[in-house]
Amino acid sequence: MSAEAVRQPAAAPIVDVRNVRKIYRRDAEEIVVLNGINLQVPNGEFMALMGPSGSGKTTLLNLIAGIDRPTSGEVIVAGTDVGRLSESELARWRSHNVGFIFQFYNLIPVLTALENVELPLLLTSLSKKERRERALTALKVVGLADRAGHYPRQLSGGQEQRVAIARAIVADPAVLVADEPTGDLDAKSAEEILALMESLNCDFGKTIVMVTHDPRAAEKAHTQKHLEKGVLKA
Amino acid sequence: MKYLPYVLKHLRRNWMRTLSTVFAMSICIFLFCTLQTVLEAVNWGLQSANASRLVTRHGLSLANMLPLSYKQRIADVEGVRAVAITTWFGGSLPAKKEEQDKVDAGESGPDFSNFFQNFAVEAEPYFAMYPEYQIKPDEKRAFIGDLQGALIGRGLAKKYGWKVGDRFFLESFIPPYRKASGPFEFVVQGIYDVDLVRYPGTDATLMFFHQKYLEEGTGRRVGAGTYAVEIADPSKAATVSKAIDAVFENSDAPTKTETEAAFMAGFVSMAGNLALLLNAIGIAVAFTILLVTANTMSMAVRERRTEIAVLKTLGFSSGLVMTLILGEALVLGGLGGALGLFLSRGAISVLPHVPMIGGLFAQFPSFGLSAAVAALGFAIALFLGLAAGFVPALLAYRARITEMLRQA
Repeated sequence: MSAEAVRQPAAAPIVDVRNVRKIYRRDAEEIVVLNGINLQVPNGEFMALMGPSGSGKTTLLNLIAGIDRPTSGEVIVAGTDVGRLSESELARWRSHNVGFIFQFYNLIPVLTALENVELPLLLTSLSKKERRERALTALKVVGLADRAGHYPRQLSGGQEQRVAIARAIVADPAVLVADEPTGDLDAKSAEEILALMESLNCDFGKTIVMVTHDPRAAEKAHTQKHLEKGVLKA
Repeated sequence: MKYLPYVLKHLRRNWMRTLSTVFAMSICIFLFCTLQTVLEAVNWGLQSANASRLVTRHGLSLANMLPLSYKQRIADVEGVRAVAITTWFGGSLPAKKEEQDKVDAGESGPDFSNFFQNFAVEAEPYFAMYPEYQIKPDEKRAFIGDLQGALIGRGLAKKYGWKVGDRFFLESFIPPYRKASGPFEFVVQGIYDVDLVRYPGTDATLMFFHQKYLEEGTGRRVGAGTYAVEIADPSKAATVSKAIDAVFENSDAPTKTETEAAFMAGFVSMAGNLALLLNAIGIAVAFTILLVTANTMSMAVRERRTEIAVLKTLGFSSGLVMTLILGEALVLGGLGGALGLFLSRGAISVLPHVPMIGGLFAQFPSFGLSAAVAALGFAIALFLGLAAGFVPALLAYRARITEMLRQA
């Protein structure tokens, strides 16, 4: 990782998005998805990003998670300007700093709940025993220790999402990003997932940035930000 | 190694597809190893060729006999040290006791399931120029002194449980070599041994008998199948060969003289270019399997686009994702290779016992799956696996997370 990419000013926000533009090119056509975004997320914040479809919410989330790069501007997360990292540096950075929660859980169907949660730890130097212990601890946090040996097909949607959350927190990342985490769940399961996320924020101090369409989900967040046509509204 | 369980679990995702791919790969390796073993056995036999020996045969084909009068004229050619008549008899044993009785009654023909190579030779000059057949002096004397005598290899004696003094019958499938009164009767007068260290490739499953017995048994001068010619200077083999053929150039029976190695290689290739044929089959099968496996891997990777995106999101580098996919392909190749070797080993051990064609393989003393062929077969399986997985792995390597998630 280049020294230039790491910045650690005192009391800096854990996510600092500075004048970011994201432009997709389709043939000769340019589509401006994000246009001059500035966003600061303090450490320990639970922020909801809202907005209509196509407003650029997921794109902004992807930039914060380091799975996409801005066309211009800076995205500094946990002191690192992710736009300056190489592909392999970015992958390593993601494994240490970001936990991603998908709308459709995206668990690996051939792996058990425990093995799914253990996946990010394969990238560490932990022993097999230590990996298993930490994965089991993460499953306990989400209340699914008793389902450790179950495959995704043997779990309900809500349980799958909880396993996905366990996978996101198992490496103890600085930031959790969630893309419509309740979008595929019934009301009861959605409520449970939101309660779990609140707990992760309050009890474990996790910084969470969540994209959602659901106003009830957004109410659980401390702050709400609205995107419209690639521009952040107050 | 910590990723191996992950790789194996993915192969279990679609049992049917994995098994069919492994099976297809195993067929490829099975064919390759079995065909190469046949080729290796044939080539092993060629090692017995001696540089100081030539073979003179009819210029048209091996099926045509050469006049017996040629012997002296060949011997007179400068550079020739000795000449011996050798005639491939093509005789087979009756299969069972009751068949033997029918043979005695003149009711039955030869049984080719018990076929082995047998030659009528001029014993004294022939064995003088073939030191690789190691014969006890007393047995050699007894063989030369008995017109019905047979000299058999140790391998043949072991196969049929024959010992000196035993009698057996042979009948040729070549009509001029058949007697009206029934098969030829032979008495085992000697058993020769071979020293494979000094003389690699020497066949211990041959039978020799007297050319004179063949001539007298059929009641006519049947001619010579070939002449074995020993020359004084191996470096002049080409010159002497030309000189021999020149003698008979304008006769009714022109000759073709070549080194023993060239003769044996030509004999093997009478059924076509065996090596080319077998290698072409192997390459065609390998290429087909490459396409099948590549298709399987492509489908497997296409189905898992989202998972690949998830792995990358979790922090798996593109290189690691590519390695995991190549690992899967390698395991597929390895499993297919192992199964193919197992099948090939089984087939090779069974081939010499298959009725009708078994004798063809049984004549090769070293017929078996060699470590070199097995290692090459397994390496090909691994290579095919890797080659098949390379393109899908490269696509996964290059794929962008956001694009794969959008396509899901």
